[in-house]
Amino acid sequence: MVRLIDLPEYERDHLLEKNMPPLGPLPWHNNAKPLSAKRIALITTAGLHFRGDNAFDFADPTFRPISIDDDANDLIMSHSSANFDRSGFVEDVNLVFPIKRFQELLADKTIGSLADVHYSFMGAGLMPKVYEKSAMQVAGLLKQDQVDAVFLTPV
Amino acid sequence: MTTGISLVRENAESMQPPRSLWVPFPLGRPLGKPNDKAFQHRVIAAALALLERTTGPVLEDYPEDAPTVSIEESAACPVSFGDTQAEATTWAARLVSELTQMQPWYDLGKRRRNGRSLVGVAGEPMQTMLKKLGELLDSDTLPTAELKWFKLAIEDAKVFYIEALTAQPGEYSAQAIEQILWHETHLGAGLRVFYERFTATPKLAIMARMVASREAIGGSTGEEIEINDITKKEK
Repeated sequence: MVRLIDLPEYERDHLLEKNMPPLGPLPWHNNAKPLSAKRIALITTAGLHFRGDNAFDFADPTFRPISIDDDANDLIMSHSSANFDRSGFVEDVNLVFPIKRFQELLADKTIGSLADVHYSFMGAGLMPKVYEKSAMQVAGLLKQDQVDAVFLTPV
Repeated sequence: MTTGISLVRENAESMQPPRSLWVPFPLGRPLGKPNDKAFQHRVIAAALALLERTTGPVLEDYPEDAPTVSIEESAACPVSFGDTQAEATTWAARLVSELTQMQPWYDLGKRRRNGRSLVGVAGEPMQTMLKKLGELLDSDTLPTAELKWFKLAIEDAKVFYIEALTAQPGEYSAQAIEQILWHETHLGAGLRVFYERFTATPKLAIMARMVASREAIGGSTGEEIEINDITKKEK
């Protein structure tokens, strides 16, 4: 469990070192569309990509696209951190990248639609500011895809 | 607009993303439990509900713990680590020998997962990679000219072992798997040697953090610093 109180002191100290101030003025956006009309995209920082894609480097602010037409079961992971569990992802891609769950939400009309393309970053080794250029690029791509909301998953 | 999962509440508190659901799950498991569709849907629903909030930032606590499996309850490790490995005098021989014991279980696990495997980031056969890692250990050297290859090779090797150790159906304790990997296999022992060697080499000390987890070492694996320097070195 990631309750700091349950962790050894070295682990607690390490995670607390990752506390950062906000990147700037706090962003806020409202969208009056009901969830059943919203177009959703998934973004993960789990370092996922397909075998033919370039693996993530030690410290790498770039991103990889995951098309809705691709089979998410073919996703693999190249992440620089040795400090999170991989065995759950081995069992089920949806534990980290819940595309099948969102396809089910689409089928039962809980959400309006799913983006054509979803995205994966590798969240390790760099300060948040370094991701700005890639984040802006993905924001533009999401806008082009008419996405209303993004669901974010870390590891 | 965004909503999402936070695994470390304190980090989300400090950075203040617009809408965030803190979940009390282990790192690496943002949706809580593998292959539990109902559980995952409950987590997603709680995060999507935050999209309805009209003021923020919102940091909400998810109330349900993920079902855990204790080390004692963990499904048994299927691999029998025999004496033949112990008789091998070199790291390369021990690792290749261990691979022959792991391979059938890896194959079985892959079949159980309908052909899904995470192995393949390095794009080389497992035997080639383990032999090369063993030769580096035997020659007491570090792969200074091939750090990127090394990182991908050990990523592949670790996940190959995890897939082999969890080949059979059952509920596994992630902690139990880590303990077996790091403390009962030659791969784990070899990686800990690499960890020590990287740690003792000031210019490459930050590589150590990518080799072994803090849990495997039982303590900090170095200060939280950016790892730009090492990538510049390799390029």
